[in-house]
Amino acid sequence: MSYVGTDQPRIDADDKVRGLTRYLPDLKIHGLLHARLVLALDAHAMIVSVDKSEALAVPGVVAVLTAEDLPTAMEGPMRQFVPLAREEILWAGQPVAIVIGETEAAAEDGVEAVVIETKPLPAVLDLEAAIRPGSPLAKVRQVGGAMEGSAAMHVEAASADDEAAPAAPDAAAPALSANAVGPHKQEHGDAAAALAGCDAVVSGTFRTSWVHQTYMEPQGAIAVPDGTGGVTLHSSTQGAFYVRGMVAKLYGLEMDKVRVVGESLGGAFGGKFNLIDPIVTGAALAVGRPVMLHLTRSEDFASGMPASATIIELEIGGSKETGLVAFRSRILLDQGAFGDWAMDGAVPVMIGGPYRWSAWDSTGIGVVTNRFNTGAYRGPGGPQVVFALEQLVDELATKLGVDPLELRLKSAAVAGDTGCDGAEWAAVAGREVIERTLQHPLWQKRGSLPANEGIGVAAGVWMGARFPSAATCRVDADGGITVVTGAVDMSGTNTSFRAIAADTFGVPLDKVRVSYADTATAPHAPPSGGSGVTYSVGQSVRAAAQDAKEQLLDFASDQMDIAASDLEIVAGMVQPKGSPERGKTIAHFAEQVTGFVAVAPPIEGRGRFAPGNPSPSVACHIAHVRIDAETGEVETLGYVVVQDVGRALNPALVRGQLQGGAVQSIGWALYEELQHDEDGNLLTGSFMQYAVPRSNRLPNIEIDYIEVPSAIGPFGAKGIAEAAVMAGTGAMANAVAAAAGSRLRELPMTAPRVWRAANAG
Amino acid sequence: MIPAQFGYTRATSVAEAVAALADPDAKVIAGGHSLLPMMKLRLARPGTLVDIQGLPLRGIDDSPSAVTIGALTTHAEIGRSAALLGGPLAAAVECAASVGDVQVRNAGTIGGSVAHGDPASDAPAGLLALDARIRVTGAAGDREIPAAEFFQGAFWTALGAQELVSAVVFPKPAGGGQAGSAYASFEDPASGYPLAGAAALVTVQGGRVVAARIGVTGVCGTPFRASGAEAAAAAGGDVVAAAKADLAAQDVFGDARFDAEYRRHVAAVVIGRAVERAAARAQGGAQ
Repeated sequence: MSYVGTDQPRIDADDKVRGLTRYLPDLKIHGLLHARLVLALDAHAMIVSVDKSEALAVPGVVAVLTAEDLPTAMEGPMRQFVPLAREEILWAGQPVAIVIGETEAAAEDGVEAVVIETKPLPAVLDLEAAIRPGSPLAKVRQVGGAMEGSAAMHVEAASADDEAAPAAPDAAAPALSANAVGPHKQEHGDAAAALAGCDAVVSGTFRTSWVHQTYMEPQGAIAVPDGTGGVTLHSSTQGAFYVRGMVAKLYGLEMDKVRVVGESLGGAFGGKFNLIDPIVTGAALAVGRPVMLHLTRSEDFASGMPASATIIELEIGGSKETGLVAFRSRILLDQGAFGDWAMDGAVPVMIGGPYRWSAWDSTGIGVVTNRFNTGAYRGPGGPQVVFALEQLVDELATKLGVDPLELRLKSAAVAGDTGCDGAEWAAVAGREVIERTLQHPLWQKRGSLPANEGIGVAAGVWMGARFPSAATCRVDADGGITVVTGAVDMSGTNTSFRAIAADTFGVPLDKVRVSYADTATAPHAPPSGGSGVTYSVGQSVRAAAQDAKEQLLDFASDQMDIAASDLEIVAGMVQPKGSPERGKTIAHFAEQVTGFVAVAPPIEGRGRFAPGNPSPSVACHIAHVRIDAETGEVETLGYVVVQDVGRALNPALVRGQLQGGAVQSIGWALYEELQHDEDGNLLTGSFMQYAVPRSNRLPNIEIDYIEVPSAIGPFGAKGIAEAAVMAGTGAMANAVAAAAGSRLRELPMTAPRVWRAANAG
Repeated sequence: MIPAQFGYTRATSVAEAVAALADPDAKVIAGGHSLLPMMKLRLARPGTLVDIQGLPLRGIDDSPSAVTIGALTTHAEIGRSAALLGGPLAAAVECAASVGDVQVRNAGTIGGSVAHGDPASDAPAGLLALDARIRVTGAAGDREIPAAEFFQGAFWTALGAQELVSAVVFPKPAGGGQAGSAYASFEDPASGYPLAGAAALVTVQGGRVVAARIGVTGVCGTPFRASGAEAAAAAGGDVVAAAKADLAAQDVFGDARFDAEYRRHVAAVVIGRAVERAAARAQGGAQ
């Protein structure tokens, strides 16, 4: 019996459906205090004073803390090292103070009574103006002797992000203000000459907005001081080990003094990386009691770390014979106040898409502004660049007189081609994915549609993280197999680990237990992100199960006096090959090595893995839309995802992941937009103003994945989660263009924008 | 999302509820689907909530001259009302069915919605078009206020400080000809509230429209009758063009997401659609 490759419900599905899963606020912690945040109202200002007296007089308020009250051991230019605004307010929504109360209501009453006096500074909001020499600065206060917005900051920021590779600043670039980070340049060949030699060239300037991850559960954490200077942090986080390292650094603690327990995660999508943990830890250390902070939705919108807005200038050229040839780009990426997870160093590479080019001249510039700070959001940087590139690829195809998918097929990169970061492409199945898409009935229907309908296509790729990982696998006295990892289950990974261990060991699925362990006890685990968990930890689980199985067979070999190589494990029984009647249960052996006296050591397998190379996943999306010509409203009628997943370990989960990617792509394309007024005040800080794709506005989403196995991932699997958002904005834009007869250069494609584009001129 | 402290009392009779409203900081709560979010955001801070959910103000009464809907009747109940479905008052059903989502429609009440006076709610369009009256109860007993006089501005109604809404009365269209009504709206994809909602009651005689009443909501602080569009419809003229003129006279909402020009445009579009569908229904056609 093989479980890998079969539909399996999530291990936690039943508990979640029945409301049994315990989330952070369900934890019962003795003496727990509640924290609420005082958020800045100014987009940019110096703090003159914070008057706590009235708040401290509110019954039930225990403490009011500002930056000076937190026992931080260092300062740094990342958001993670600035839990509360210090002297300078950098955006409207930045946490300035924490009110701690015996109840949440008392703390909230206290928040209203805190009086912050500020001296306003100009809010830096316009990306083009901000990078011009002489622009007012978005940050005026110096940290550690260095000006914010320097290239040095980005090096540190990028090192926090495993996907971003910073390029060296270009000395020959035009002068930029200190708000600029970079430029980061990627160059190959003579792009200008190559473009001049192309049969056709198209160009455009594209704008995309800030987009929030909108996980169902807002950010939250509980910090419990342990009485010896350490703290246990229960956190709704994607990366327990990551949080431990950063929090320990901020508060000058040894790593063993920060124990991070990843609690049930109500969604994250890249947004839950040490945002709230430094605040809660500092508060708990300051008052010496357990403290919980769970943001409200509005606080999460105002103080979270969403995905960056961009302005993308792109010019691409190609020819009928060779396909895509060369491109030039300049991408401004709004970092906000902190660039902890900003992708300005990576987008000049990502904008090349899944294609082979012979020349490029590609620049990314981060811009420090007084809006939020950049967080990671599923496929960071991808939906933005895809919107620009994939529209121009379609326009180029039209100009060249070729089919848009044929142009993509001709241009798809293959292993050994030079990528836009200068490295060789790893094995990549772009051609296979595009060929499959060409055959899809929905794509073939594009020529015979009623008025106001259109079908669009786009392609994209995600390289995938290459995290190192480890896992253990223990055989329990009852014959059960316990797999232990420190990877937070964000997307059903534990369910896949169970199938991997069951198949590797040769036991029924229900004999495998998957256990999450915290940072004090778990084998090292990467953060849950970057499409890297199954790819790496899955392989560690497999290795651990294999190790444990070999230990068991060695012991059984001694006990049964049969060579280990002549034994097998089938359906949970250890038996001589082909002789089930002589089989003995795993428990029979496990009992002998787990009692008070044993003839052999217990069975405990270890697995470790470092993938080394990526296994990029390519996706093509087909979107079918109808436009209400009178209002400009776009209705998504149909949607198809074609993606190379390597191997679908659990097809049900794979379909769910790819559907989720399609939904979020539609959100980027049509609805989601964090807007500010000219003073930097957030206008869309709740679900009353921030639109997401609700189920009644979504079509049936068809998943048509293909399997081109990876040589690296477990059972051939590739990381799939982020490739699923690498094509949708382009497919939707191309569909809208087909339906409306005019192109939109700005995301999201809201009804007023579509109506105006159709009625322009 | 934590309200300021408040008191709570559960009224056991209409008289008791009215008496409790003598406290100027008291506020009636029914389904709570408008009031509670405002309290959680601390935009509303009533000293005491007077819960009227236990009062006998629920249900739909169908008489020869009118359909009377008790204030505590939920949007969901109105949405499946046999007294209204398929008849000339169908716009009231469509307004109710357009409110919020399933949970809101199951808990939110017509009386609470009307008393709240949210300029972005669906109900006022139907109330105006169908010439409904709002029945309110105070210490001196009941009085009925025409919808056109009830809504006076954003979150501002003719409801007295010591009164509560007890019912909404829809008169049945009288006189010659066939009547039909419809509600059309353009919803904000974020909130689900109408950026523009229009209800039309249309009378057809001899195959042509002879009269129309059009109520418009969501567009500005006070829901209003689109009198120019009504006249155009009755005269067989260009309803959308006339609606644009009606809207030009209004102080239309506008923000960064949906500016006033766009809102005026979609309001005229939905007015045209409501009239068209109401006329088709009056003539016995589909839709």
